Amino acid sequence: MSDLLEPPGREETTPVPTYYERPLLKMPHWDSWNVVTYLFLGGVMGGLGVIGVLTNPKRESDRKLKRTLAVTSLVLAAANPAVLVTHLGRPERFLHMLRIVKIKSPMSMGVWGLVLYSGAASMNVMRALALHGVLPRWMRFLAPSFFAPVQALFGAFIMGYTGVLISATANPLWSSGKRHIPVAFVCSSMSSACALSSLLSTLEGNTEVTHKLERLEMLASTAELLALMSFERHAGKYGKALFSGAPGVRLRTYTTRNGILFPLALNLLGAIVPLPKPVDAVRTVIASVFTLVGGYLLRDTVVRAGRVSVQDPSVAFVQPQ
Amino acid sequence: MATGFFTDTTLCIGCKACEVACKQWNELPSDGFTFTGDSYDNTSELSGTTWRHVAFIEQMSVDEGGLHDRWLMSSDVCKHCTNAGCMEACPTGAIIRNEFEAVFIQPDVCNGCGYCVTSCPFGVVDLIEKFDPNGLHYNLASLNEARLDEDKTALQGHGGVAGKCTLCYDRQKIGFEPACAKACPTESIQFGDVDVLRERARKRVETLTGRGVSGAQLYGVDDVGGGVGPLHAFFLLTDRPETYNLPAQPVLPSTRQPAGYGSAALAALGLAIAGWMIFRRA
Ligand code: SF4
Ligand code: SF4
Ligand code: SF4
Repeated sequence: MSDLLEPPGREETTPVPTYYERPLLKMPHWDSWNVVTYLFLGGVMGGLGVIGVLTNPKRESDRKLKRTLAVTSLVLAAANPAVLVTHLGRPERFLHMLRIVKIKSPMSMGVWGLVLYSGAASMNVMRALALHGVLPRWMRFLAPSFFAPVQALFGAFIMGYTGVLISATANPLWSSGKRHIPVAFVCSSMSSACALSSLLSTLEGNTEVTHKLERLEMLASTAELLALMSFERHAGKYGKALFSGAPGVRLRTYTTRNGILFPLALNLLGAIVPLPKPVDAVRTVIASVFTLVGGYLLRDTVVRAGRVSVQDPSVAFVQPQ
Repeated sequence: MATGFFTDTTLCIGCKACEVACKQWNELPSDGFTFTGDSYDNTSELSGTTWRHVAFIEQMSVDEGGLHDRWLMSSDVCKHCTNAGCMEACPTGAIIRNEFEAVFIQPDVCNGCGYCVTSCPFGVVDLIEKFDPNGLHYNLASLNEARLDEDKTALQGHGGVAGKCTLCYDRQKIGFEPACAKACPTESIQFGDVDVLRERARKRVETLTGRGVSGAQLYGVDDVGGGVGPLHAFFLLTDRPETYNLPAQPVLPSTRQPAGYGSAALAALGLAIAGWMIFRRA
């Protein structure tokens, strides 16, 4: 009888190891442009706040940079909730998140970080305008200088929380990077913020600050590269969804090569070789654009790879600690 | 009182009465018909609109002793975890623990962000996307009738809301047992006080082991580990949890936050110090 039931060419039918190889976990719904843009802009904006407080008030070029940063960060802070709303569907849905403060939810903490950051950023713009005489001068007393460190503090928080937001989930890939993803996002946010600042400063003709910004950018993107390399080694089979196949190629091409190594080389060149001003400006613009695109695509690739990861039944049943 | 389910899979006959009863009571839309070829399971998984799912596992092996075959059936549901990943993650406070200690999503508060979806270690909750209020029977109003008014509900717009088992909050409120348990003809789904059910589950697994049923084990009666704690909907299985699409070692996502925030803070501090030296010393 057993002979009859044996399928031809197979010794025996063994039990399926998992349930029809079906994914255990649900797909994340975050691979659309608006979520990725939200994550990216949040990081950049946070970085701008941090750079703002680093500038030296005794130097005119730094003061000019600080003003640019104040205005840019406020513009981004205003744009970001709008980007999120396009994902949530309707504006009042954003307000649902302001019903409560929840320490345990990185998304709740992040939204509050964003709101408080925007408040501090408005104060700093008001101060800059008052000092500049655009607004009545007495208004600077409404916005004392301590709002700059306040903005920087919330800025530092929003540079990092997006990494915590995605890695403190059940997604096998993201959760295996509980330390690496937040570090990579912080570093990438800082390098993108530096790139945006040096881009804007170059366009404004404030070239005195660009080399300082580029030095910080080089440090940040080197740290980002190290964090990604360490993530790959550490994640093992959980990292397959990001580091192998098409996402791996994408990460290595657009983030590692074009977004980190290429601008790094250009910035290094700028730091070592004294180039004529117009050439140097072009160099800065190119390096900045590549860094920014690389930073955006880092988020995009990591978020998309999360969808690949849940389809792999071999990593879902024993979840990373 | 904490209520919950003891799902004794050894009693399940795969009739799917629970699936149908849940759909009907909660007015959940059809998911369409797909013929999967996976035994009698054409539902495949729990989803935003499927809150009970019956799994069918055909096992067959041949050795010297002859043919061994089993047909395992199991009705899966939201676990109503003691420490619920979905609830901790929800930024709107839409997910609450109600007076029956069940994990309940208030659909009019949910903003469709999808964070709960990635934060459930059991892959239970999902978004119901592109809600069309004029569509046929696409109506979750029974969950929260008092708070649904014309245009202001979260349901009535695009973006969707999260959906999962409510432990029949509305039925429990009026003293009814959940529709799925009520419909189950074999008492495979047992509803009641979780403490009583846990005792019953422990006795049952002893009885079965005594009778020589191989692989009889409990899932979720005690702490499942990873910070999730015991479940309010637990199971008696006769094979490894993976066989039924249940995680062997689930982890509560929020346990990873200290490591994440800590390393992010260190990285930010390092970069800030470096930046300070670059700008202030130069
Ligand atoms: S099983 Fe998932 S959806 Fe259900 S309570 Fe637990 S975490 Fe939430
Ligand atoms: S989708 Fe709704 S229930 Fe889920 S986390 Fe977001 S707001 Fe909360
Ligand atoms: S308790 Fe109610 S909502 Fe939950 S699975 Fe059963 S019938 Fe569906």
